[in-house]
Amino acid sequence: MRQLPSLLLLLVLSACVFASSDYHEQLVLKPLHPSLLLASFNFQSKTSWASFEQQNFRYFPRSLGQILQHANTRELHLRFSLGRWDAESWGARPWGGTREGGTGVELWAWVEADTDEEAEGRWLTLTNALSGLFCASLNFIDSTRTTRPVMSFQPAEQYSNSSSENLHLLHGTLPREVVCTENLTPFLKLLPCKGKAGISSLLDGHKLFDASWQSMSIDVTPVCVPGTSECQLQITHTIDMVLDIQRSKRPRDNPIPRPVANEDLKCDTSKPYHSHDTCYPLDTSAQEEDWSLSQIFGHSMKGSCPLANDGTDQVCINVPHARNVFASSGAAEHKDESGYSRCYEVPADQDFELALPQQEISEKVPIEQPLLYAERSFIGYGQERGGVQAILTNPSLIDAVDFVYMESLPWFMKLYLHTLKAKISNGNGKSSKDDVIQEMYYQPALDRKRGTQLEVRILIPANSTVILTYDFEKAILRYTEYPPDANRGFDIAPAVITIGNDISIRTTTLLLPLPTPDFSMPYNVIILTSTVMALGFGSVLNLLVRRFVGVDEAEKWDLRAIRFKVAAMVAALVRKFRRRRDHTE
Amino acid sequence: MPDGTVATTDAIEHVRISDQAAPANAVQARKEPPPEKPDQIRIRNLVLLSFWAIIVFLGLPIWWKTTAIYRARLPLNDMMDWAEGRACRPVFPLRISIEADSLQDYEARHLLRMTQHALDDLNDFSAHHLRLQLSPSTNASFGASGISTGNTDEEVALTIRLLKGDTFQANLQKYSPILDIYYTPIQVPSISISSSSLGTFIASTLRQLFAEEQAMIAYLFSTSSAPPERSPKALAPNVAESLAKWRIRSTKYSRTHHLTFSLFAPSATPSSWDIEAALEEHMKPLLESFSAISNFTIDTQVQLYATPGVSGNILKREDLSGFINAAEWPLSPSIGGAPTINFIVYVGDMEVEGGGKSWLIPQWGGVVIQSDVKDLRPAMLIFSNQLMSLLGAPESGSLPLRLMTLVRVRSAGLLLKASGTMGSLARLTLALPSISIPRSVADGVYTTLSHLRKACDGLGGKEGLENARIAEEAAEKAFFEKSMVGQVYFPDEHKVAVYMPLLGPMGVPLVMGVLKEFKAWRKRRRVAAGAR
Repeated sequence: MRQLPSLLLLLVLSACVFASSDYHEQLVLKPLHPSLLLASFNFQSKTSWASFEQQNFRYFPRSLGQILQHANTRELHLRFSLGRWDAESWGARPWGGTREGGTGVELWAWVEADTDEEAEGRWLTLTNALSGLFCASLNFIDSTRTTRPVMSFQPAEQYSNSSSENLHLLHGTLPREVVCTENLTPFLKLLPCKGKAGISSLLDGHKLFDASWQSMSIDVTPVCVPGTSECQLQITHTIDMVLDIQRSKRPRDNPIPRPVANEDLKCDTSKPYHSHDTCYPLDTSAQEEDWSLSQIFGHSMKGSCPLANDGTDQVCINVPHARNVFASSGAAEHKDESGYSRCYEVPADQDFELALPQQEISEKVPIEQPLLYAERSFIGYGQERGGVQAILTNPSLIDAVDFVYMESLPWFMKLYLHTLKAKISNGNGKSSKDDVIQEMYYQPALDRKRGTQLEVRILIPANSTVILTYDFEKAILRYTEYPPDANRGFDIAPAVITIGNDISIRTTTLLLPLPTPDFSMPYNVIILTSTVMALGFGSVLNLLVRRFVGVDEAEKWDLRAIRFKVAAMVAALVRKFRRRRDHTE
Repeated sequence: MPDGTVATTDAIEHVRISDQAAPANAVQARKEPPPEKPDQIRIRNLVLLSFWAIIVFLGLPIWWKTTAIYRARLPLNDMMDWAEGRACRPVFPLRISIEADSLQDYEARHLLRMTQHALDDLNDFSAHHLRLQLSPSTNASFGASGISTGNTDEEVALTIRLLKGDTFQANLQKYSPILDIYYTPIQVPSISISSSSLGTFIASTLRQLFAEEQAMIAYLFSTSSAPPERSPKALAPNVAESLAKWRIRSTKYSRTHHLTFSLFAPSATPSSWDIEAALEEHMKPLLESFSAISNFTIDTQVQLYATPGVSGNILKREDLSGFINAAEWPLSPSIGGAPTINFIVYVGDMEVEGGGKSWLIPQWGGVVIQSDVKDLRPAMLIFSNQLMSLLGAPESGSLPLRLMTLVRVRSAGLLLKASGTMGSLARLTLALPSISIPRSVADGVYTTLSHLRKACDGLGGKEGLENARIAEEAAEKAFFEKSMVGQVYFPDEHKVAVYMPLLGPMGVPLVMGVLKEFKAWRKRRRVAAGAR
């Protein structure tokens, strides 16, 4: 009898989980300084495990679901990114960096398989199928670009022991892939409201790929009620972008920036040299730009998606309460208590517009400081004296940071592990040789089969900087292994830094110039061989076959005779021409 | 001056007339070199001969061998035999067993003979004939698929039960292959009467039942590229036309099919439908009856904000194929390689010109337009019919008979297709001597031929269908082998560009040397002949 109330509670809990709507979407707008806007689109759909297994799809996209079933994938994370997140000006990354990937395409998944080879085969199926679905060259993620990280990624669900043995984590990156509108279109097709209503109607390829930084991500994770085996499969689509307000306000049909007219220049009149032909730009950091949704995104939002009916407001904007924000009629505004955010409930059938006028305001939304600043670059020079340097800074004055730094290098970048050095320097200028590297996992490369995988767990004390350096050597590639535009170089995947379970930072990609061969060599070989054969063979044959006679006995090419012949021919032609002319006249 | 010009003109004329004389006239006569010793001439000839000998006996064979293309041996004669219908005479002997419990043994046998005579007289298509047999009375049992297993090993296409009744009629059962023939007792023939009306009645009923199947098989034979030797029966033009439509409509045979049921709505509602229950109740039983022939996997999806490719309330016939908005509607084929059949329910109230609200798209699927998706039963019924048409089943007859007809017709089709492909492959290898034929093509051809032989020997049953399917698959794989075609498009200019710079400078002195020696030899002979 005592079990009954707890059972009832469990039932109520599970009912709550499943009674919540299967779909919800939200847009969060956050102005960054200066004159930038971070827009975060988030869409979430759920489907019960039973209907997923029976292949009855409602909000979950069928094409993706079938791929996951065919490749026996439990959990999938796919990222498309472009641009660089400026952590010093913009603060911490949105979602803690968990919804973004390195430049290009990044994919990691937990695949169910009994053996490693089977897992590789299923991974290959997965990448090929996803490449067709998203119009991206994911099929180039082969064994040379795939690693199995040990410390860096954790599954969203802690699976029960029985199933975790045959789950393999595989991670692949394609830093050279250029993300563009052809990747956005299949992304929109996976959403239930398809870019026709709700916040997805604001997504436009032209504006999205004009951003300073943008990232599209898809996460498919199982969500289970704790304690039971009732599970749902949740798919989260996220698009984040940092838009330049000035650039977005330029009209679509006239995108070339033109010089501002003299009268519109904002000049600092307090300067002594200010006159009609000299202008020092006014510091507008205290002033907020004016912008509106239709100026930034090209058109206003077309109502709301009726499927999202769980009561959350669809559009939120993070500005101080003192900022004036005008919303279209019909939208209900809810300000929240923290003082820095307000949300709007969008009516279903009316267009929604948000406009912020220009305003002088001193209060700013506090920027969240990131836990770690990371930078990576090349040092050294030449074929054998290359090196990589990663500068990791802990800005906090009190807390130490414990993180995992993962590098996945291609096989032609030959890392020398014994040269891995970690130098730590305090904010006060002191440098110590404390052991910063706690744990290391290293898998060396196999030529043309597998790349290098390096995972290092580092503990940085408060207010310190760690500089990780290691040397590498470049290998010489075969003639056919160079990509088109070989002289550009090869892209090296970004380093992935994982802090705890929910924060992740990525550095930029690096461009490694490799010496290129002379691609015209086959032609040169043919020409050279032919010349040698002609000269050598011809000379030898002539020596053997020709008869040697005295100079005066030889048959000569008679120059005077040739001259006579040529003169005769020319005279004959001239006579013929004259005769014809006489005839016609 | 005039003299000079005249003189030069004369000289020029002289030059024009005979240019042989010019060198001799224009310059001093040159000193003739001493005549060559015959030894030297011999050595020179030997040198040239040895160069040419090396080229012809060593160089040419090595070049020939190293640039030869690997062409595996194919049994071209066998392939052409199959292609022209000489290797196989496809016959579909259908066994029909008669249960005549109420008759005496000798009466039953007599009836059998009468009916068989009548059948043979009426039949004009020798590839498809019906063989009657007497089934042992009470031991016949019916398996779950409706095919009588009885005591015989082979499958029985139909069982005829002779039952006493008031009138003379035939009644085909709906869910099992049994034909009930009612007769009045006086109709049983006695041995003295040579023909009986019961026999002819049975024969004509049977012929009617199997007429469509015969027509289908005859059509396949007559339109295949590998017609069997005997001339197939001629078909009436309207029958031939409807069979041509049947062939365009039906999908390719495959062991597995994917069925996708999609709901498309132009706005956000309705966003869910009770498809699972509807499929369970109306579709799954049909699909289970197909389990001997193909497996089916089903998936369903809901797509909102879907605008069709054509707008308007009345859809003309030409608009029907454009209704599916292929650019925006995610109807990509299911992963896994098997063919996909799409069934679409569109929520709207447009209708087709002429009044219908559903149509079939050949080899692709079907569309039903409904404005309310609470009741899916009518849509499911339409889809079942469309599925049967798309799979190529005949339209008349009971379900078990249609399924068995489908098996036989598909076997015939696959057999003919595989034979045709063999012929095409043989003609291809003969017509293009420059393409390579890898080992895998030869293996595929041998597999195909062996399975074709097995299929031909066992036509009419499930084994025949399986063998024919394997044969067709292997034939297609062998014909479309990727590496075969690679050499066809190799540009000849590349060959010239590589050979000329190498062989040109070598060849020219050799050829010129031979020519000069030949001219010198001829001159010597003329001089020698003149001296004699």
